[in-house]
Parts: sequence; structure tokens; C-alpha cells
Amino acid sequence: MAAFPPSHPDLFTPEAVSPPVPAEPAPGLPELEQLHPALWRAHQLGSVQGPVWPSGFAVLDTALPGGGWPGRCLSELLLAHPGIGEMRLLAPMLAAVQRSGRSVMLFEPPALPCGGALAGLGVDLQRLVVVHAARAEGVVPGVGAAPVRDARARAADLLWALEQALASGEAGAVLAWPMPGMRAESLRRLQLAAQAHRGPAFLLRELAAQRQPSAAPLRLALRPAGPDEITVQVVKRRGPPLVQPLTLALAPVLSMPVRARARRLAAEAAAATAPVGLAVRV
Amino acid sequence: MLWFAVHLPCLSLEAFGAGLDATARRRPVALLAEHRIAAADAAAAQAGVQPGLRRATALALAPDLLLGQADAARDRSALQAVVHAALTLTPAVAVQGHAVLLEVQASLRFFGGPATLLSRLRDTLAPLGHKVQIASAATAQGAALLAQWRGDLALGPHSTQPAALQALLDELPLGLLAAAREHAEALQGMGLHRLGDLHRLPRSGLARRFGKALLDEADRARGTRPDPRTWLAAPERFEDRLELPMRADRAEQVLHGAAVLLARLVAWARARQARVAAFVLALRHEVRHRGGEATPAETTLRIDLAEPSADAAHLQLLLRERLARLRLAAPTLELRLECSDSVVATTASGELFPDHRSAHTGLVRLVEQLRARLGDEQVRQLQPVADHRPERACTSVAVSARSLAMPATTVAPSDAVAAVATEVAGFASAWPQTRPVWLLPEPLPLAERGVMPLLDGRALLLLSGPERIETGWWDGGLVVRDYFVAQAADGSLVWVFRQRLPGSAELSQPIWFLQGRFA
Repeated sequence: MAAFPPSHPDLFTPEAVSPPVPAEPAPGLPELEQLHPALWRAHQLGSVQGPVWPSGFAVLDTALPGGGWPGRCLSELLLAHPGIGEMRLLAPMLAAVQRSGRSVMLFEPPALPCGGALAGLGVDLQRLVVVHAARAEGVVPGVGAAPVRDARARAADLLWALEQALASGEAGAVLAWPMPGMRAESLRRLQLAAQAHRGPAFLLRELAAQRQPSAAPLRLALRPAGPDEITVQVVKRRGPPLVQPLTLALAPVLSMPVRARARRLAAEAAAATAPVGLAVRV
Repeated sequence: MLWFAVHLPCLSLEAFGAGLDATARRRPVALLAEHRIAAADAAAAQAGVQPGLRRATALALAPDLLLGQADAARDRSALQAVVHAALTLTPAVAVQGHAVLLEVQASLRFFGGPATLLSRLRDTLAPLGHKVQIASAATAQGAALLAQWRGDLALGPHSTQPAALQALLDELPLGLLAAAREHAEALQGMGLHRLGDLHRLPRSGLARRFGKALLDEADRARGTRPDPRTWLAAPERFEDRLELPMRADRAEQVLHGAAVLLARLVAWARARQARVAAFVLALRHEVRHRGGEATPAETTLRIDLAEPSADAAHLQLLLRERLARLRLAAPTLELRLECSDSVVATTASGELFPDHRSAHTGLVRLVEQLRARLGDEQVRQLQPVADHRPERACTSVAVSARSLAMPATTVAPSDAVAAVATEVAGFASAWPQTRPVWLLPEPLPLAERGVMPLLDGRALLLLSGPERIETGWWDGGLVVRDYFVAQAADGSLVWVFRQRLPGSAELSQPIWFLQGRFA
């Protein structure tokens, strides 16, 4: 048993991934974490048994166990509101999944994705399926009054569709936007179903879910960090907690001079206390 | 010639009981013909209900007896399904009474022998849920008689050797011959109980007393008289109806009867070597007047398959999902299943190891299942339209099997990701994106402070200069807008526009709108 070295100042940094191993009493025995791929020490990044999909961002890959988005399990992305750069973060992985011959399925996205924008990110529209759970009517039209579906029935439909897609193993990558306030048992069921699903599966939920426990092995909180940049904070992973959030540069929306000006204005606004005025270039 | 005969001893009862659900099946069942019991199942017979009893007597013996009317048309439909099941093994199929006769000599080599053929026959008949007695012989009439007599004569020396067949037929009780039923008392009085007894008597005397029909039937069974049959074929269109003995108030109670009809549909499709592309289930209601309006007489459910299939389990799954979200307007009395869209084409051969073709089939099935439960319009694919107006450029269509792309080649995941990683590395110098990923379905009017737009009460910082979109004057959707990329207070990028020409000169009309968010 290794003695906890109290003088080690930065034990929990990504650089200290493999600390010096203390001398074992029997040098012929294998290390504990090499006995089985599911075992990992708390101060090391665990390995992932299933397939791993590189995210396309080298800095992020070093922080994720296995070196990329894990397959065969759920990953949670927690956002304050949709539209902070999450699709640009996932686009390289989605394009890779489509190029390997599988389809990407989106479940109840917050708005209809713009085909042209996704195509610009490298996503193939022929291999993209969007599934909505909301239905306007509950009966075959022409037979009496149609009852309006309530939110709970919609949530149940969405969870059923998600479970079917994961358990079938036919979808390549799955992105889902479940209703807020998802129960822990639903998450457990989806995590079980995801074990039959070879590709990555993402649940994009609200930031308030950060404080609730979840069965997903990987949880990231995303926050916007200026134009064309996103801050990724690792809430949960198979490995030591990441203290410093990562800042990633996304596929640009603004041109470089505009981005530089935006950064300058943001710096000025942070320095001054006056509200930002209208700044339109003619 | 080798003939198989499939005798269905309880056909009428099973045809009647096909529409019953699980709770009703536990009750004893009997059928009435002209106010007398015509047939009773094992549970009713145990209670003492015999054919020939009057209705009141039977009900007194078994109070929870379920009575139904004997219906020859219903028996014919059930028998037709067995005929279709037999047509998958041989084209030479004929019907005699409640038995189906198959001439399988030409199919023996293909199916690998009589024993394998027999097991195939049993497997094909299993989904229809009938009790079958199978016998084989060298003559059609002989096989039919043996099947009616005993259930263990499926294969044996009598199947191929005429001497063994004759010896077995000699033991056959005379009551099984159709021509001997009217002379049953006379024959018993003479002490003629078996077919062998008949052969020992002079033929001219027998013909004079009982007519030629009895002798002809015996000769046909032995094989001394030719026995031509007309072969049956599967019809082009499938139509079958099933009357539910118990009124169904909820859609789930219809499920069992619908499953029986689907099994018959699959048997028909397999007999024609076709696959089902679409079918229609019609539920006939009892007409009621509720609240001054008449309920419709029929509810039709049309189920289109993205890829034609003859898989009973898959069709049942789709039908179950559709029935689960159907609310019946009135109780259902009768189900009718029709299929006129079938595809006669070769299927792709099955693969042992999963490849891209099987992955595509799997994806189509998943999409079909989602469409069956959620609705045909809920599973969509994006289809961009060449239009400058953002809300018209981003449209979606309901997905179908043809639109789901089949992968031409399979690239190994590592190569695919390596290719994309190099692409991402060049993002810093790539052209900037012009359109946001999330487009709001309706532009959201924004509050203003002075002339600046506000989002959630905080001012927006307009970054990228105006992009003027002015189009659509020809179809009534005139759009005159200046689009800006703006940064919200939390740092995310949004796409807003300012309407250049408000419709009227009112100052209260909003000018700034939020169109989308860059994700």
C-alpha cells in the first residue's frame, strides 16, 4: 500500500497521471490496475474497455479517459442553454462516425438544426436522423376529439425511443435532449441500454443537473468563454478530478479581425464598469 | 408419388377461438348449428357437453360455456391459411373436407428427404396454432383417411410401400369413409367394421347395396383407381376477416385477433414468395349514436413498411405500436386485414457476419419501429432548400428507406477519425460559419433599450456587420432584413436581425428579432 505523500504539491494535475509506483513485496505480481481493464486507481486516468472516438481536440482528448469520447456508455454534457458551441464541439466526432458508415440520430433537439450549417461543420445530412417525441394527436384522425399529449407522456415517449435506439445497436452516435428533471432510474436504464450501442451516446441536460447524481461515467459542464471558444469543466470521469477547466477553440463563426476586436472589447468591458454600447462596423 | 395429409380435427373450434383473448380462452367453448351443439372442446366435453345436445342442456351442464355459431366461411378462411402454409413446400396442394393434401414427391430432393420435409411442415404450421394430425401414403385418399384415423402415421413403411399401405388400410374403421356414413347402420348390421372386411366381399353385391361411391372411395384409397385433384394457388390479393366473439372496447383486446390475421398474411406472402409492402387493418364498430353524432362504422389503420418484409414478428411489433396509441371510438366487432401491396422480388441473401448492408437493414428496422410508435411525421431527415430566407432554407422531410443512405464503402474508424482530425486542425484558418446550427422556428422579437437589442434583459454586442437578405417578393414571403452576429452577455453567439422596413409606421412594432443561436 503506497503511503500518501503529503509533500507532493500538485498530485491532482493532468501531468501527474502516472506517479512513481512504490516497490511491491513480490516483484513478479502484476499491478492491480492491470489485472482487469475495468480497474483504475483514483489518481490515474482509467482506461475504457469499449471503442473510443477521438474528439478532434487534442487538449480534450488528454483529459478524457481512453483518449476520446467513450463508446458503449452514456456521456452527459451540461449546458446552461442550447447554443453555446456544443455542436461545434461534437461535430468532428459526428463526422468520423458517419464516415465509418453509421448514422447519427438526434432525439428531440431544442430547435430544428439548420442543414446548411451542419453540412458546413462536416456532418453528412444523408446519415442524420432527427426524432421528435411530441405528437399533436393521440388518435387516428377523423375519429372523435384528439386529446393533447401532456409533457410527461412526451418525456416517456422520448425515453422509450432513446432506449430502443441504444439497445438496437444500429445507430452510430446518439444525441438526446431529455426533459429537465430526469429521474436517476431512467438514467440507469439508458446506461444499461447503452452497453449494446457501439458508438458514443450523449445526453445534453441543464446545468442544474450537475448537483444530482447520475449513472453516466463521463459528465462535462460546458460554458461559453468568449466568441468561438468554449470552457469544458470535467464534473465526473474515471480518473482524478480536473481542477482547471479546459478552454477549447471551436470552428470559427467570426472572422479573425472581428474575433480580435471582440476580445478587446470584452477586456475593456471587464476593466471598465460602463455597459457595452452599440458597436457596429459600417 | 408421396402424399402428405394434414388433418385439422378441431378446425371449427380453433377458427372460432382465434379472436378470443387470454381470459376468454379459459372458458369451455362449444359451437352451435341449428340450435344443437355441433362441436365442443376438451374442457366442455369434460363437463359433459356432447354434440347433439340442445343449447339449454349444454348451458345447464357448463354454466360458463362460451357458445358460438358454426360458420363454414370462417372455417374456410382458417383452412386457407393452412393451404398457404403448405404452398411454401410444394405447388401441388389440394383440400378435402377439413384436411389439406400435399403431393411432395417433386420436393423431396430439394428439402432433403421426407423426415426433413415433415419437420419443415410442422414448423410452418406452428404459428397458425392448429392441432394437426399428419399422415403420409402413396395415394391421396389413403393419406387423408390415415390422417383422420390416427396421429402417429406421419412416416413409416406405409408411406412408400403399397403392401404396407394396404395392410394398414385394411384396419381402417369404415366410419371414416365419407360414402359409408349414410349406410352406417346397415354396415354395422352386416358386421362390416373395417375396410378389410369390405374387400373380402364380392364387388357387384356391394355396389348394388351401397352404391358405387363406397367402392370408388375404397379403390382410390388403395390406389387401384385414379384420383385426379385440382391444385390450389394463392390469390393475388389477400383479404381476410375475423369476427371477435367478445366485443373489444380497448385497442389491446384487438391485438390477439390481429396477430392471428397477421400470421395468415405472412403465410399467404410466403406462399406467393412475396414480401408485404403495406397492409390495412380495418376495425368495424357497432354503430352508435353518442351526443347527436354517429360514430364511424370503420376505423382503418394503414401501415406502410419502409422495406418490404415477410417477418411475422416485425409486422406484429409495428401493428402493436400503432394499436397502442389508438383510441377506439366504439367497441369493435370485426377485424378485416387487406393487403394488395406486395413485392415479388428476391431478397438480399443473409450474412453471417454483420456488414454495412445488415447495418443498413437494422437501421431501417429501428426507424420503422420509431415511426410506428411516435408517428410517421416524427422521424425526419434534414433537407436544405436553396433559398436565401433562413426559415425556408432549413426544412425537413419524413424519413423513408430510400432516403437513408447506404454506405458505399466501410472506412475503418481510426482512418475516418484521422482524416477528420487533420480537418479540425485546419479550422483556425478555415472559412467562418455563416449560419447558426439552431434556428428558432419563429423569429423571437427582442426588447430594445434605445436602439440596442436586449436578450434576457442584457444588451447584445453586435460584432459582425450587416448581412442584407432581401428576397421573396414573388411568393408573398417578403423578407427585408439586416442580419448581425451578436454576442450575448454570457459569451455565446446569436444571430439577430433588424427589419429594415416595418409593415406600418407604428413605433411599437418590434424591429429586432432573434433568429438563431450558433451552437
